[in-house]
Amino acid sequence: MTAKRVRIIALLAISAVFLLAWAFPIIWSVLNSLKTDSDVLAYPPKLVFTPTLEAYRDVLFGSGSILPNLLSSVIISVGTTVVTMLMAVPAAYALARLRFRGKKFAGFYVLATQMLPPVGIIIPYFLVLRNIGWIDTYQGIILIYLSFSLPFAIWLLVSYFEDIPFEMEEAAYLDGASRLKTLWRIIIPQVRGGIAVTIVFVFLNAWNEFLFAVVLSGNTVRPVTVAMFNFVSVEQTLWAKLAAVSVLAMLPVVVLGVVAQKHIVKGLTVGAVKGGGRR
Amino acid sequence: MSGQGQVSFRNIVKMHGEFAALKGVNFDIKPGEFFALLGPSGSGKSTTLRILAGLDAPTAGRVLIDDKDVTSTDARDRDIAMVFQSYALYPHMTVAENIAFPLEMAKLPKSEIAPAVKDAARKVKIDHLLDRKPGQLSGGQQQRCALARAIVRKARLFLLDEPLSNLDAKLRLETRAELKKLQRSLGVTAVYVTHDQEEAMTLADRMAVFMSGEIQQVGTPAEVFARPNSIDIAGFIGNPPMNLVPARYVDGDVIIAGHRLKTTATTAGERDVVVGLRPGALRLAEGGLGARVDLIEDLGDTAVLDLDCAGTMIRMRVADGNIPGEGDTISITARPQDIHLFDPATRRRL
Repeated sequence: MTAKRVRIIALLAISAVFLLAWAFPIIWSVLNSLKTDSDVLAYPPKLVFTPTLEAYRDVLFGSGSILPNLLSSVIISVGTTVVTMLMAVPAAYALARLRFRGKKFAGFYVLATQMLPPVGIIIPYFLVLRNIGWIDTYQGIILIYLSFSLPFAIWLLVSYFEDIPFEMEEAAYLDGASRLKTLWRIIIPQVRGGIAVTIVFVFLNAWNEFLFAVVLSGNTVRPVTVAMFNFVSVEQTLWAKLAAVSVLAMLPVVVLGVVAQKHIVKGLTVGAVKGGGRR
Repeated sequence: MSGQGQVSFRNIVKMHGEFAALKGVNFDIKPGEFFALLGPSGSGKSTTLRILAGLDAPTAGRVLIDDKDVTSTDARDRDIAMVFQSYALYPHMTVAENIAFPLEMAKLPKSEIAPAVKDAARKVKIDHLLDRKPGQLSGGQQQRCALARAIVRKARLFLLDEPLSNLDAKLRLETRAELKKLQRSLGVTAVYVTHDQEEAMTLADRMAVFMSGEIQQVGTPAEVFARPNSIDIAGFIGNPPMNLVPARYVDGDVIIAGHRLKTTATTAGERDVVVGLRPGALRLAEGGLGARVDLIEDLGDTAVLDLDCAGTMIRMRVADGNIPGEGDTISITARPQDIHLFDPATRRRL
């Protein structure tokens, strides 16, 4: 009994250490975002202070409002996610199910694009976009993001499609369903979990992306990850505002995570009884 | 639906690369018939069913349903219902939604779907489970759900791919009997794939026996049992299977282990043959073939004896009360009409 209790306490203590290490930067950002600039720089750090929403008010409604940048981020991330999913779901289905010439090569290409170091292709991408006049445009950035998110999404989804037994589809054909109807009514509902997981990953990647955004965006389209650096300048860093923007940028991600969690877990349990009557 | 569901296979060939899964298969199924495709695994019976369903295309040959060439017709346009070995239920739908799916695809109005689903579920006794998901059903209930989904549409052909193989022994026997009744009451043509000769014997009106990509015999179970037309079928049908003993044929008699047995054959001459003897057709008789009892398997009402006849192993079934002891020497014989003769080279019946 006591040995068990000791073990539980030990496990809790270890978890607490890990949790604290993981949560510290977030807690620190939240705390800083509620401080005044002088409180942020106080040494030793003030743990007890009068919280203020000044930083939030300034970054949202002040002269250098980041609201347009948040909107940019939303448009880019949602756009990337929607286009990616519209193309990745049929592509993954085709790779998992259909037999066609060059299938092996296509599968390899999908993976190969993941092996390139991103820094190595920034310049070519920049040149391509400049030539077609898409620098500092939504379609330009979304196009570039697609080149990473699409292979990744396809690769992730294929394994979900492959898990569905062939017989399930054949049963649907014999029941009178067309291939498209089968995909829509029988296959996709069963890979819901996988689709939810993929959406979360694609959205997060697009939302958090900085490297390409900083090079390929400009004054019209400037996602929040890039705009944040307005608060870092040669003379000073506006820590409270930077922290406030960080917290704001984190919010959609946290919300998405909480909402999708249910789906992700559900997706896992659907897998447990997949195939219904399979031994 | 009587008068519908007539099937003809004309010289169907199926190649998987260099390997011939089917080497020219021909058979006809009459409307309303319960037709079994029987054979060991890899013999081509499932491939035949898949070609009939339209899930695979034959390399050559034609498939006719109700005198119409459907060789290149899509599966969904063939008006065929099928029960898969794995049942292939849709796990995200309830039992009712599963059963309703083929009707929805046929664009039936909602007001007709609900009663049809109830009716089909009642026929297979799962009408109390309509709101469950397949994952919440037992194996037997899943099997019934798959059956209901197949019968709800009143298709002209009803295909079953080893539907009982995932059930335990007791349930399999019960379901087997119900399946037969169900097929009779619906009057639908059924094509049934199985590797279990007992299932085929009990269920089928007629059956086709497959061996390595060919049909070796088509007939009623009784015909196939009584006159197997190859060594392979003889060794496959019956439990325990037929004894197949190399012997010498001399002027209408066969010589096994030095003992002469009369046959129904009358041709003169001498040659090597394989003699087929059903374990149940052998009887104890004075002055017959001498044999030593090696092993007794007592099955309660009957026993199966492993006999050593001068080095040849022969199995024999005897009724209860007639059982000799292990190690005893007995004398056995068989009636001429119970002796099957096969050609050892062509493996065909003589």
